[in-house]
Amino acid sequence: MSEDAKKNIAGALTARPNSDDQKLSPLPSPAPAVPPKKVIIKSADMIPDMQKEAVDIAVAAFEKYNVEKDVAEQIKKEFDKRHGPTWHCIVGRNFGSYVTHETNHFVYFYLDQKAVLLFKSG
Amino acid sequence: MEEAEKELERRSKFLNSLIQQKKKAAIESEHEHESSLKVDVRACDMPLPLQNRAFQCARLYLESMPPANKLDSKRLALALKKEFDSSYGPAWHCIVGTSFGSYVTHSVGGFLYFSIDKVYILLFKTAVEPLDH
Repeated sequence: MSEDAKKNIAGALTARPNSDDQKLSPLPSPAPAVPPKKVIIKSADMIPDMQKEAVDIAVAAFEKYNVEKDVAEQIKKEFDKRHGPTWHCIVGRNFGSYVTHETNHFVYFYLDQKAVLLFKSG
Repeated sequence: MEEAEKELERRSKFLNSLIQQKKKAAIESEHEHESSLKVDVRACDMPLPLQNRAFQCARLYLESMPPANKLDSKRLALALKKEFDSSYGPAWHCIVGTSFGSYVTHSVGGFLYFSIDKVYILLFKTAVEPLDH
């Protein structure tokens, strides 16, 4: 009887180290790096340098703002400043459009799920 | 005396007929109203006749589509732009969709942002510069 009791105690003791090991074994993994946004140029009548500029400005705007209108405002104003007025910008998840633009001043691209339409007219 | 009674009866029938016609017209009017898609103007800088033209154009397009069909945003945008380019001179731009934000510069009197049913429509005009040679 007393020997049985000893066995039980020994069993209990052996279990604890295992659980301790289990607790220790999963090391905290480093935070996963944020994947870069996927860029797809759907349609463009614009020199490549300007296209890249549009994408870069849009990426920065999405990081800074959450509201689509604010993103559009940022992009349009930046292009008005850099390339002269008058630019127009549409940002969204679901829209179709038909516009008239100046030659060499139109780009339509996707950043992940959001579409960006940027063109000059007037 | 008998003639007077006949005259009264004739007038009574005429009035009753008028009432029935009015009721019928009212019912038809209600029905027509029910079939119209609801329009909400969200932002506007445009004369009323042009607004109504846009509403009518959009309404006709949406009503012409079978209910099951998915909205063809680009086609509606094209229809509106063409209508306005030809009626009120270039250059008009149109955006149609259920989820978008925008920031644009427009000509005076050439801006309309409205919703019809569940679709949002942005229609605006920009000045056309003469081509440089």
